[in-house]
Amino acid sequence: MTTTSVTNTEQYNYDVIRKFAIMTLVWGVVGMLVGVYIASELAFPALNFDIPYITFGRLRPVHTGAVIFGFGGSALFATSYYIVQRTCQARLFSSGLASFTFWGWQSIIVLAALGDVMGYTQGREYAEMEWPIDLLIEVVWVGYLVLFVGTLMKRKQPHIYVANWFYVAFILATALLHTFNNLAVPVSLFSMKSYSLFSGAQDAMTQWWYGHNAVGFFLTAAFLGMMYYFVPKQAGRPVYSYRLSVLHFWALIFLYMWAGAHHLHWTAIPDWTSTLAATFSIMLLLPSWGGMVNGILTLSGAWDKMRTDPIIRFLIVSLSFYGMSTFEGPVMSLKDVNALSHYTDWTIGHVHSGALGWVAMVTFGSFYHMIPKLWNTKMFSNRLINIHFWLATIGILLYITAMWISGIMQGLMWRAFDDFGNLQYAFIESVAAAHNLYIMRAVGGLFFLSGMVLMCYNMYKTIKSGSTEQA
Amino acid sequence: MKHDKIERNVGILIILTMLAISAGGLVEIVPLFFIKETVEKVDGVRPYSPLELRGRDIYIREGCYLCHSQMIRPFRDEALRYGHYSLAAESKYDHPFQWGSKRTGPDLARVGGKYSNDWQTQHLTAPRSLVPQSVMPNYPWLSKTALDYSDIQGRMKALRVTGVPYSNSKAEFDKNVKDFGEETAKNLHIPDAEKNLIAQAQAGNYDTNPDKLTEMDALVSYLQLLGTMVDFRKYDDDYFAKFR
Amino acid sequence: MEWLMWFTKFENTKPVSLVIFFGLFCGVVVYLYGSKQRGAQLESFKNIPLQDDDI
Repeated sequence: MTTTSVTNTEQYNYDVIRKFAIMTLVWGVVGMLVGVYIASELAFPALNFDIPYITFGRLRPVHTGAVIFGFGGSALFATSYYIVQRTCQARLFSSGLASFTFWGWQSIIVLAALGDVMGYTQGREYAEMEWPIDLLIEVVWVGYLVLFVGTLMKRKQPHIYVANWFYVAFILATALLHTFNNLAVPVSLFSMKSYSLFSGAQDAMTQWWYGHNAVGFFLTAAFLGMMYYFVPKQAGRPVYSYRLSVLHFWALIFLYMWAGAHHLHWTAIPDWTSTLAATFSIMLLLPSWGGMVNGILTLSGAWDKMRTDPIIRFLIVSLSFYGMSTFEGPVMSLKDVNALSHYTDWTIGHVHSGALGWVAMVTFGSFYHMIPKLWNTKMFSNRLINIHFWLATIGILLYITAMWISGIMQGLMWRAFDDFGNLQYAFIESVAAAHNLYIMRAVGGLFFLSGMVLMCYNMYKTIKSGSTEQA
Repeated sequence: MKHDKIERNVGILIILTMLAISAGGLVEIVPLFFIKETVEKVDGVRPYSPLELRGRDIYIREGCYLCHSQMIRPFRDEALRYGHYSLAAESKYDHPFQWGSKRTGPDLARVGGKYSNDWQTQHLTAPRSLVPQSVMPNYPWLSKTALDYSDIQGRMKALRVTGVPYSNSKAEFDKNVKDFGEETAKNLHIPDAEKNLIAQAQAGNYDTNPDKLTEMDALVSYLQLLGTMVDFRKYDDDYFAKFR
Repeated sequence: MEWLMWFTKFENTKPVSLVIFFGLFCGVVVYLYGSKQRGAQLESFKNIPLQDDDI
């Protein structure tokens, strides 16, 4: 036992994974805290305090950047390095490059947040970072690709396990999306301001091709890779069907890229693009549910683990939320539904049922499995994991219920006519009507955030009791 | 046997993945750059004047697009509330587009001219003094901060690279006179940018304080322009429908 | 660029994409589920994550 463990330390580069794992927790707290704050600003606008740096318009990109790229991105770096090494039985081929991706990525998140509060923005959702940061992302991302693929190439296992395919697709797609969506002309070499190369309808199509597939590859495909490793590991049994995983991999990555234009229904883009996108969005339901079924059925024959193992509960519930939001998505991409739902809070609720329910929950489950292994110890408290699970679940339910009600209400109020054919409501009446629901949403977010803080405490105690040296 | 190779060879996996993820974007986006019928041919749409451009930059800086759309959809309620549905042509000089994705506040695509400069300035400074239930932040610093227009020529030159017809030479100026009329063409001339910017701010007095050229001047001049460029009385709706 | 225009006509796009992509999809399905032997081999890969602790 001792001898094999010694080879373990030499075999795998856990150091960079530990760093990314810790930063995942840090950015999770920061991003969710900002989220709760801006949610409160919408309920109580006095919280903007007349300070430019903390107004909703500037903090919102800080929130999305910190949770998507800080929390989600760091989690993906950590788990991808963990999975690729363990399923290939090969060490990351360059420690220097691994370290570079860590420091590079963390400085990107910090610079992006600083840029956002100072008002340096490209004015494109989820791609607010101005051009110098975009160039840095490009460099770090190429480093990530080289490191990941290079490690795959020196694997001892002849077959590349499917989780790695999802990570490869995620890295490639993100590179493609980031490059084309950020083509811009800077005002000067010393100016933080740039203007996007495309304009109007073309620019809108490019942006939502990016925006939709950032969700599709960054927040879905990559996290499916996470799922395909950690669900089998925690359940102690192999995934339900390997062939289904291959089938839904190709279907998912192919179909996703066509669906972006459903964010632009009824706008000034040609109808055929819109219809095509809606069609593919409906088809996307099949591979999405293929992945969900494959994950959940991994547990078949061991359902009692749902009761006894809070980590399994995190993972399986995350898959259920994935199934729910990948059903809701195609429904919202139908043009008639979209006419009601678009521009309303329903969209915000949909995003969060995916982001909190799927992305964050699957990350929590995976981390509760991975962190003790990285520090050669056991989780400090299973009870706290259980409490975290319930805080998170209640938080999500409050959040998405509030957004469903306010979203549908806004959609209906905007299109309501009185008996004389005039608009029944002034716009501001729909704002006033959402007030209590905005409070409810902020409370839901607070629940979720407190679960995240609890997780950090649990992890802190766990890490303190462990050691980075092999036992 | 085929698939076995894919599983065993990273290179093939990468190539096939790239093919699979490229198809959708190629078919849906690339044609938009070549099809002429995507953008309506209408009179009146012009690039922003230097002052309006700086206003637009401030609109983007403050993240207005996160709560306000600039894209009216072709529905009866939106026509009554906001006006004629938005055309692709109306944002053809918008780098980046600001169609938005969320209406926490109302659409702004045709807000130009609906309220006075007084109202806009007061509303931006303290929205709840005019609309008690509003959740918009106050922007008091806009009318206190002097407008920085030191790099206005650089900004116009950058936009010129992307294809916006700001003129930098006599020949380009003459072409703009032909396309937009002399009055507009003067405002698009890069060497005169600072002069034009000051002149428009003084003539418009957008922030209702004639002594000072502030960020409020620029932002209000932009808001007052929104949606006013096309005269919809001149066109029949069937004409626009052809481009959809 | 004329050939790109052809794709923008929805009456062309639909059948073409249907034929090409449905064909590819059928190919993948036949490959995965067509042969018992290959199926068994593919399914054996699902144990990879569970083997790593023994290394």
